[in-house]
Amino acid sequence: MSFLVEQVSDEDVSGAFSSGQPDALTLVYERFGPLVYSIALRSLSARSDAEDVTQQVFVSAWRSRGSFDRSRGTLGGWLVTITRNKVADALRERQKNSRVLLQVAGRATVQTPEAPADRVVDRIVLADELAQLPEAQRLVMVLAFYSDLTHEQIAQVLALPLGTVKSHIRRGLRRMRSSLEANGVAH
Amino acid sequence: MSHTDPEILALRALGETAGDPDDAGHLESCPQCRAELARLAEVVQLARNDGPLEALATPPPQVWDAIAAATGIVLPSVNGNHATATADHATPGADRTAGGPAPVPDSRPAAPGAGLRAWWKRRPLAAALAGLAAGLIIGVGGAAGVAQLTQAPAPQLVAHIELSPLPAFPQFQGTSGTAVMRATASQQVMAVTLNAPSRPGFYEVWLLARNGVSMISLGDLNADHTGTFVIPPGTDLDNYSRIDVSLQPFNGSTVHSKASVVRGSLPAVALKQA
Repeated sequence: MSFLVEQVSDEDVSGAFSSGQPDALTLVYERFGPLVYSIALRSLSARSDAEDVTQQVFVSAWRSRGSFDRSRGTLGGWLVTITRNKVADALRERQKNSRVLLQVAGRATVQTPEAPADRVVDRIVLADELAQLPEAQRLVMVLAFYSDLTHEQIAQVLALPLGTVKSHIRRGLRRMRSSLEANGVAH
Repeated sequence: MSHTDPEILALRALGETAGDPDDAGHLESCPQCRAELARLAEVVQLARNDGPLEALATPPPQVWDAIAAATGIVLPSVNGNHATATADHATPGADRTAGGPAPVPDSRPAAPGAGLRAWWKRRPLAAALAGLAAGLIIGVGGAAGVAQLTQAPAPQLVAHIELSPLPAFPQFQGTSGTAVMRATASQQVMAVTLNAPSRPGFYEVWLLARNGVSMISLGDLNADHTGTFVIPPGTDLDNYSRIDVSLQPFNGSTVHSKASVVRGSLPAVALKQA
């Protein structure tokens, strides 16, 4: 058997972005805005900070789009990397502010800001990939993950051929795995 | 025998007992298949542990507005429609902006990208997909449900101000920027984005008083020409009502270089609201 990675979609968005087409940023934002915003929101727990980071990520990505190399990784992975950096910056800024506050308050200990947990980012990346699956496949994956149904039972419930369900599961898992690896956060 | 069927690996990763004894035997002895199984199993664990995957959150519209303004891809529209759309989306308590007219009079022609923006608004594809997934997960996940990402209250948008170059500075023509003022219960914050090339020196953001002489430095823009600044509490914005971005040389001087790149005015309506 082969372990070839299956196509991770988003090729069109990525291509438009690389070539700097005028509407590319709207496409990219439409596709990846929720991914970037969700990572920022979960990492920073404040909507205003998450909004600022999301804005910074897309502005920065657009300005440095020349440095995005499609042959070296996916656009999603690249954006997640930028997001992690901006989140780290925001946390550092927060730490700086809290250090000043604590010093003013006469307290010595300063907490180190936590980088966004890999696990948190991983789960958001998976949720994003799950949302991108075609509807029937997404339903199969959701049932496979969260119901106690076997793949035979899923086929019965959804009135799908067994082979289709097995294929959906194999491809779905592979695709989600690929998105984790593309985002460089899987071990 | 050949390697384990990928479909059997996938089902095993999900915890099903798929395959025959030969498959089990092969898995015992083949590091390649075992590694692949482990990779798929990690996806399953990530998806299952800590409850069902949460639906992604969709950023509020002002985020795109700020991106569009900063990149110059779509000029920010500040006509009535846009202001209403922003207010409609605002969180409870945002009646400051609801129904109000656009804070900044817009004498510019329609932005060339206006159609694009409308197109984008008509097709919130990602949002729809995320919502669909959420529905499914809620339906199947049952009691676990989908947790709210955060309950933090959103700051209220007070004003969205376009920054434009001054006629006196021909070298900065073609530059643009925006300032978005937001207020929380405790502070006012201004996010400034400048659409300008990098030049020798750095960009600094100021509030100018009506007398044209007094000014307050809010701080420097970051390398990507964006910055978020807290308005010093107690600032009389009725007086310090103009936003100015200067290009400062690296000469150690803390005073305004007198090279104003762009300026904008806080709208009176926002001042009352703030």
